[in-house]
Amino acid sequence: MTKTSSLRYYWAASLLLLLLTNKSYAEQTDTDGFKNPLQSLEFNPHLGQHEFERATLEALHISDPLEQWNRRVYHFNYRFDQWVFLPIVNGYTKVTPHFVRTGVSNFFSNLGEIPTLINSTLQLKGQRSMETTARILFNTTFGLAGVWDPATKMGLTKNNEDFGQTLGYYGVPHGPYLMLPLLGPSNARDTGGIVVDYTLDFSVNFLNVAKESERHPEIFALKIVDQRYITKLRYGQLNSPFEYEKIRYAYTKARELKIAE
Amino acid sequence: MFKRLLTPLGFVLSLLCGLSFNAYAEQTATPYQFPLTNAFEATIAGTPSALRPALPDDADIKQHDYSLRLRPEREFTLPSNFWPVKTFRYRLAQQSGPAPLIFIIAGTGAHYSSSTMEYLKKLFYGAGFHVAQISSPTAYDFMVGASPYATPGYSPQDAGDLYAVMQAIKKQQHRLAVTAWHMTGYSLGGLQAAFVSHLDEQEQVFNFKRVLLLNPPVNLYTSVHNLNRLAQTQVVDVNDNRTFYQLMMDKLTRYFNSTGHFDFNEAVLFDVQNSPQKLSDNELAMLIGSAFRFAAADINFTSDLINRRGIITPAQQRINDGTNLTPFFKRALLCDFECYIQEQLLPFWQVHFKQQQLATTGPSATDLNSLIQASSLYALADYLSASKKIGVMHNADDIILGSGDLGFLQQHFAERLIVYPYGGHLGNLNYRDNAADILEFFHD
Repeated sequence: MTKTSSLRYYWAASLLLLLLTNKSYAEQTDTDGFKNPLQSLEFNPHLGQHEFERATLEALHISDPLEQWNRRVYHFNYRFDQWVFLPIVNGYTKVTPHFVRTGVSNFFSNLGEIPTLINSTLQLKGQRSMETTARILFNTTFGLAGVWDPATKMGLTKNNEDFGQTLGYYGVPHGPYLMLPLLGPSNARDTGGIVVDYTLDFSVNFLNVAKESERHPEIFALKIVDQRYITKLRYGQLNSPFEYEKIRYAYTKARELKIAE
Repeated sequence: MFKRLLTPLGFVLSLLCGLSFNAYAEQTATPYQFPLTNAFEATIAGTPSALRPALPDDADIKQHDYSLRLRPEREFTLPSNFWPVKTFRYRLAQQSGPAPLIFIIAGTGAHYSSSTMEYLKKLFYGAGFHVAQISSPTAYDFMVGASPYATPGYSPQDAGDLYAVMQAIKKQQHRLAVTAWHMTGYSLGGLQAAFVSHLDEQEQVFNFKRVLLLNPPVNLYTSVHNLNRLAQTQVVDVNDNRTFYQLMMDKLTRYFNSTGHFDFNEAVLFDVQNSPQKLSDNELAMLIGSAFRFAAADINFTSDLINRRGIITPAQQRINDGTNLTPFFKRALLCDFECYIQEQLLPFWQVHFKQQQLATTGPSATDLNSLIQASSLYALADYLSASKKIGVMHNADDIILGSGDLGFLQQHFAERLIVYPYGGHLGNLNYRDNAADILEFFHD
């Protein structure tokens, strides 16, 4: 009699314990070890579950009155990239050793510091202007006209400022989105900026490269190949029928971030 | 009375302790030191670069993208802006001599050149494999360029499509000296690898030597449901006028302002999570859920357009290179994975496969249940228990799993299952311990 009752107690107790442990487990880990990470999240009540839709539809509102034209240019660029640009870049990587390509990139990047310096100054960013000046000095002298980049090794990080950012800094809105032939995504403000930077580049004529490119278009060609070589974007890499929309959003937001910083 | 109650209690307690201690000791022979214990952070950030395995450099890999004309009729029936994907492309990295070849199947919506695919390629190439990278059957390029029905989700059909692609690759690469065939896939690609392996048992074209499933869904519908839920977390205050993306942008702006530098690389998330702009679990979940909603939108649009169903794109709509697709994008975005199943996959399945399914399950189950059953690992339970060549790796905190899924894997894979305590969904795939385990599985 005592034995059966104690047995009964035993079972009742172990059952209770198992239930208890199971219950506390349900909030942490299942018996098979599953941790159910979703249990820590707070979900919107049923009617308020449309934040993704609300945010995404809002994000698709980007001024693009020239969309028809832009989309055609996007497809043109995509084809040109696959059939002309990338084969050239592949040939370039085949015939040149890595250190030569790095040297070429450094050389053009050093030239590109001039617009950065001017635009940092225009935005009254003192520290950035000084950093850029120091970079130009070190890289042009110790780095043999910019082929090497000792400044980065010395801890002077490279900045990028263009006239589009300067305009944005002073409150000029980005205007309609533009897909530029060969150059890719842009907008009215940044396209204006490109023209200004190009003119600046030419009038400063740093290291005489701009003037010399007029007589030797191969310098300009090398600059373009290098530009494509260092640009990571590949048309089609998003693998989406809506790549145009996604690039448009990403470009616009990346520019906003760059202007804000 | 009290004592009598306490003794069994004590007994059970010690038993439980002993059991759990045993399980613990078995699992952690060498402690697993993956640093991200938060499932959502791990899923997004992956492994810090210092803890990744050494991999061969891209320049040292002999690789090329090849194309196959698998659906020539679509060159005429589809709008011109689909031109980049009308031929099907895959990537092959080849060793200089004879070697085993491994097929890698990408996860939901992913391209053959996505970062996870490139990582796995380098890992296997470094270990001496030829590697063939295949886009997911749910990816835009696969749906247009390879899939006859372009309505992914029914695993037996997806496996058939993949199998046809693999055979076409084998035919195109007939000069390649292959000593043995292997296969792996991650996420949805893992589930599909199991179905391809099962199909191969009947067709015997490859006789795969080993097949590894990396973080596969067990019940397809559970995974789909979880991912939908992630995009429904509380991220913005009711009183906040900002949308979720604006909130993220504000955080990034403040973060870049504080660092004084705009440099968007993969280390940014680690740094953000250690800054005052740290993202909450809800926000991280929303980011993951959003990524899958975008994948769902692509599938919705592409499947509908190829089959001219008229759900997203009106059947008579003319589309050329200049056509504004944003209205269709918006419509496709409103339909999540569960909605895709209801509106496109299920009706398609009822027309093409219901009869053949009825023969096996009987008429009692609802159509949706039969479809889920047939598309999940359950359908292969006997095969998975019996076939020693298939292994699986998973995480105890994977966000695509539901209750009981790990139990199912334990029951059917037994010692061929490895469960890691952390990693979220695929976050620890490029952790060096995992890399070693993956290669060990394929080691002779």
